[in-house]
Amino acid sequence: MPNIAVFIEHRSGVLKKVAWQMLSEARRLADAHGGEVWGVFLGPDAAPAAATAGKHGADKVFAATGDAFAVYDSELWGTALAAFCTARKPDLVLVGSTALGKDLAPKAAAKLGCACISDAVGLKFDGGWEIRRPIFAGKCFADVTFSTPLAIVGIRPNAFVMAESPKAGAVESFDPGLDGVRSKAKVMSVEAATSGKVTLTEAEIVVSGGRGIKGPENYPLIEKLAEALGAAAGASRAIVDAGWVDYSHQVGQTGKTVAPNLYVACGISGAIQHLAGMSSSKCIVAINKDANAPIFKVADYGIVGDLFAVLPALTDEVGRIRG
Amino acid sequence: MKIAVCVKQVPDSETRINLAAPAPELDQSGFTRVLNPYDAYAVEQAVRIKESREGVEVTAITVGPQTVKETLKKDCLAVGCDKAVIVDDPALAKADHAAIATVLAAVLGREPYDLVLFGLKAIDGDAGQVGILVAQKLGLPHVSTITKLELGEGSLKAEREIEGGKEIVEASLPCVLTCQKGLNEPRLPSLPNIMKAGMKPIETVTCRDLGIEAPANLVTVKLYSPPPARGACKLVEAEDPAAAARELARLLSEEAKVI
Ligand SMILES: Cc1cc2nc3c(=O)[nH]c(=O)nc-3n(C[C@H](O)[C@H](O)[C@H](O)COP(=O)(O)OP(=O)(O)OC[C@H]3O[C@@H](n4cnc5c(N)ncnc54)[C@H](O)[C@@H]3O)c2cc1C
Repeated sequence: MPNIAVFIEHRSGVLKKVAWQMLSEARRLADAHGGEVWGVFLGPDAAPAAATAGKHGADKVFAATGDAFAVYDSELWGTALAAFCTARKPDLVLVGSTALGKDLAPKAAAKLGCACISDAVGLKFDGGWEIRRPIFAGKCFADVTFSTPLAIVGIRPNAFVMAESPKAGAVESFDPGLDGVRSKAKVMSVEAATSGKVTLTEAEIVVSGGRGIKGPENYPLIEKLAEALGAAAGASRAIVDAGWVDYSHQVGQTGKTVAPNLYVACGISGAIQHLAGMSSSKCIVAINKDANAPIFKVADYGIVGDLFAVLPALTDEVGRIRG
Repeated sequence: MKIAVCVKQVPDSETRINLAAPAPELDQSGFTRVLNPYDAYAVEQAVRIKESREGVEVTAITVGPQTVKETLKKDCLAVGCDKAVIVDDPALAKADHAAIATVLAAVLGREPYDLVLFGLKAIDGDAGQVGILVAQKLGLPHVSTITKLELGEGSLKAEREIEGGKEIVEASLPCVLTCQKGLNEPRLPSLPNIMKAGMKPIETVTCRDLGIEAPANLVTVKLYSPPPARGACKLVEAEDPAAAARELARLLSEEAKVI
């Protein structure tokens, strides 16, 4: 019976939603196949994490607290996650594919010599595990297996649906094994970017603009619709390379891969590299004045028209609907 | 100072994956292969360091068949790397990330490097773990996803992209870095430099030359599948753009239920 551990990430005390999505999926698997669902938490205060983890199906939450876990540190956190795995021997450790998780998962896996599978979107148990992950930025999917007793698996935000299934979520502390371990690369400070309130990779809705917006002065049209929708603002590479918006907004094969519930592409032609980064979004909307633009081939809804006329009206209407 | 840049040749970003039905193998024979776009930032950064100080030597390292040579010449040696190493071993044809990391660590272990640069991820496998695995295998610090680098004497300061901001990280050398877009603007090779690159040394080695067995894979791909087909697009038509926008909002709210 597999036991699944879910890493519960916090950044500056804020808990990441992907943890609840992963716990919900782990709970569904445990209910079907047996085994326990565990949260793993590294941070100063485990109580809030454990309360929410219990709500989403964690039987237990293993926690290591202390100053070492206030700010992310690859060496210290990697050591702690590896120490947990050695002590409790879970079959699978799920880590959100966030900036932190993408650093932590391979670090801990290399310490343990176990398999590390990045950016997965599906987990199947059938006596053995089969993990589904997009490759070529989503142009193709690979189902993979692993040969080590444990695998650390990165999970894309929004790949799993969050559900409630209350369990005890009792906190048990564990020894992170930090005696004699020193930080190797130290985070001196964290700076928040001024733009973009909702982050692209975690957003449930993304509104992106492309060269059709004509100039950087019109990007606020994208940001206003994004704001009305509670969405993150994205961009095609064309307008990133033109210097209209920062690279952190780029969606595509050489930018962020996103799979939100709703993706709105405005003035984006739909080049293969852009499609690669967003075509597994659940619902895609295209607004483009060219009816033959390839973006319409992946879109669920489209308006063939001038975005300068459509976007302000859409923003108003969304604002009205969402109150 | 010695800098190593670990690079990969990948199918170019225009590549279409023609997979009608799930299959145990992915036929990659017709793909046009280029330097992984993220590795170009690593190469450029290494060359900029070389240009800014005395006595820097840059070695490009890759694992792959001899067909990687053209990429190494054009995109590494012709833009300023001094030499290259190819690990060409048929036993590595299907190597997973952990196996590649073991092999690269063996190459890097042959001589001390002050900096080891990687691209953030390769655009085919999309994993972004090899640089971090190598750092751990070598017992070195790493900073992943960097968008800015200041190199001091024996230490460095880097900016690392995180959600909605950045981390400022300090580490001592030797150190492993994985490079993100924004770090620099990679230069293009000039024709004369492409010609001259042919004179630079490229060493080819096998696992046996490195004193290791070809490492076993930890992860195996069982099946490749095409992405699920998408339905037809519903075009919203109305008398004017504002009306179309209102109808679209209604559909998203009432039919698709996504807002
Ligand atoms: C190695 C490599 C990697 C790449 N990686 C990426 C990547 O990660 N992400 C990415 O996005 N691209 C990437 N690209 C670039 C990609 O090939 C395209 O060039 C780019 O996506 C085009 O951006 P666009 O759609 O904004 O611009 P265009 O292709 O110029 O399209 C603009 C669209 O706007 C429409 N339009 C114009 N005016 C209006 C209007 N008033 N109202 C409505 N519509 C209007 C036009 O009809 C057109 O369809 C990459 C390219 C390479 C070579």
